[in-house]
Amino acid sequence: MKNVNIAVIGFGNIGRAFVRVLALKRKLLAKKYGVNINVVAVVDSKGMVIKPSGLDDYEMLKLCEVPKSGIYMFGSYAKQGVNVEEVYSKAAPNIHVELTPANYVSGEPGFTNIMLALKSGAHVVTANKAPLVLHYEDIMAEARVRKLAVKFRATVMGGTPFLEVLASMKSHDIEKVEGILNATTNYILTEMHDNLLDFEQALKKAQALGIAETDPTLDIEGFDAAAKLTIISYVIGKPININSIYRESVTKITLKDVLDAVKQGQVIKYIASLDAQKMVASVKIERIPRENVFAQINGTLNGVKIKSDATELFFIGRGGGRMETAHTVLDDVLEVALRWFT
Amino acid sequence: MSERESLCAIKVGGSLLKDGKSYLEAAKNIKKFVDEGLLPIVVVSAAKGVTDALLEVTRGAAEKLGKVFDLYMGIATELGSQKVYKRVLEELELLKRITNSVIEGYDPVLQDLILSFGERISKVLMVEALEAMGVRALELNARELIITNDVHGDATIDYVTTANHLEKLVNSIISTAAVPVIEGFIGATEDGRVTTLGRGGSDYTATTIAALLRLNDVYLVTEVDGIMTADPSVIPTARIVKVMSYREAMEAALHGAKRINPKAFEPLEKFYGSVVHIGSWKLFGTKIVQAIPKEHRGPKVMMHRSLHEMPYIAIIGEGVSDTSFIKKVIDILYEQGVEIMGLQTYYYRPSIIMHVKKGSEVSTLKLLHKKVFEEVD
Repeated sequence: MKNVNIAVIGFGNIGRAFVRVLALKRKLLAKKYGVNINVVAVVDSKGMVIKPSGLDDYEMLKLCEVPKSGIYMFGSYAKQGVNVEEVYSKAAPNIHVELTPANYVSGEPGFTNIMLALKSGAHVVTANKAPLVLHYEDIMAEARVRKLAVKFRATVMGGTPFLEVLASMKSHDIEKVEGILNATTNYILTEMHDNLLDFEQALKKAQALGIAETDPTLDIEGFDAAAKLTIISYVIGKPININSIYRESVTKITLKDVLDAVKQGQVIKYIASLDAQKMVASVKIERIPRENVFAQINGTLNGVKIKSDATELFFIGRGGGRMETAHTVLDDVLEVALRWFT
Repeated sequence: MSERESLCAIKVGGSLLKDGKSYLEAAKNIKKFVDEGLLPIVVVSAAKGVTDALLEVTRGAAEKLGKVFDLYMGIATELGSQKVYKRVLEELELLKRITNSVIEGYDPVLQDLILSFGERISKVLMVEALEAMGVRALELNARELIITNDVHGDATIDYVTTANHLEKLVNSIISTAAVPVIEGFIGATEDGRVTTLGRGGSDYTATTIAALLRLNDVYLVTEVDGIMTADPSVIPTARIVKVMSYREAMEAALHGAKRINPKAFEPLEKFYGSVVHIGSWKLFGTKIVQAIPKEHRGPKVMMHRSLHEMPYIAIIGEGVSDTSFIKKVIDILYEQGVEIMGLQTYYYRPSIIMHVKKGSEVSTLKLLHKKVFEEVD
């Protein structure tokens, strides 16, 4: 049995779901794949738990019960204050799992963490998009030099292996990728259509149900979808800068717009689109016919169409549910573990 | 005893949970099971009065939230740790944000979400109380495990999906050797929306877990020692019924017996006949089993209902629809000169119903209870 040590940096909803899923599944995974995933460090915004020998299942599950930013309260391995370098000097993880929140201005703290991990010789799995969106080339160059993997399947259509499939279409000339890439705004629009709520009411309901963040700016102003398009553009080798992506704000949509569209047999959707031939990308409010595939993608579902010179593919799946995303992150971790450590 | 056999389920009713002391008391009693080598899966209700208060909140009485706040923060403070205090505060603040965003008009999805906090917070408190008693304990999440249809307010559990979830979890539960605590009364649809299971839903959660995991015993703990032969506030000489069948319990529930939720027997009938123990921490007086041995046939419970123009008395028990028992009842009534207005019994149902004149139901009930339960043996 091979031991692979991981550090989990960022311990919000996804971080907790990930540690929980790992605690519940790792014995089975060890049996099935012959690799034992050990969590040697968990870091949140205010503190760290470091245990070089690895947390046991019970400790991992208990860790998920601490209050927000409350890791420092977790008994003997915990301490206040964050110092990722200390994680590396004390526990030397093999894989770094970056689950901090996205900041599209600075890319921090994700970018610094990821570079530190690579420089310390750890492979990286990230669900945080911002470091990739702002520093994709720097990160990949560092990884190449050090022969390390950087995996980020959870960043686009996080509940599906979409990015993996896209990356594997190496012989194709990808012409266009478009679709519904943001679950929060799609949920809001679905509520507006189905229950005739105005935008504010639908947003409030989404917040109440935990689908929208308290500060929903990244979703409703299109940053999140634009960031995903940027990552897609890097994956297909035709990079587009996030700042060059045209964005419309979903807040402009009124209930009247929805009713007008419905009267004409249409629905309003928030469509992200990357045209790799013209090298333009946009996140726009669009009216589409009710029988169109995208019109059927409702609630927190995501849907994307890949068009290449040879084929057209559709992907439908959950965007960012915490359990689905946790599994996608774990799949990345397992892939690195199996490829590099067995 | 194999590790799997050491599992049982315990449901702690909300009537028992009113302050920090009562959570610790419950934890102390759960510890007794652990000390005997058992690993109980604990199903908790919301603390006393919380569900009613939250229901009023969903109907617009936002000020009732204060009551829930005070009660749960008070209990968290009593239990003492900084961790639990922060957790409970976090949950309550989330609840407050959600209630503030409730849109005018009834939204069953949000109503269930709001109600679910009663059990969610109670669970956090119970885990803390168990740890304070030196018991390793873990939170389980009903929203991830108990999958239901989307009938908000009265959802039915999807047994196949839920069984899959539970089965995957059970080995982890056994290997951590920690007492898992799960919310009763709540579940979620497959796409993650919170649902509630209707009145008495926590019993339903407990029996579902027991049946799907094929556990031998499920304990439903309340403040009384068991099911009584009659309502003791009417019949002070009422006694505890020691053994009943599922059929008898469901029939009694149909006629309004307290502390029995008919839905709770569905998984037990369908999947596995766990023994249901009903009682208090002091005494689990009543055992409800799939089938009762012959010698336990006969009347178990009687009750009166005065809702209708023509009130009735029901006697429940396997065999009460036999001619010999009907004759016995008729003889009692005949000897005392009681006129009945109607009598209903079917061979396939464990009950006999007698309609009596308005105003005479209590005296008739007393007479029958005395003759049937007190003088026979």
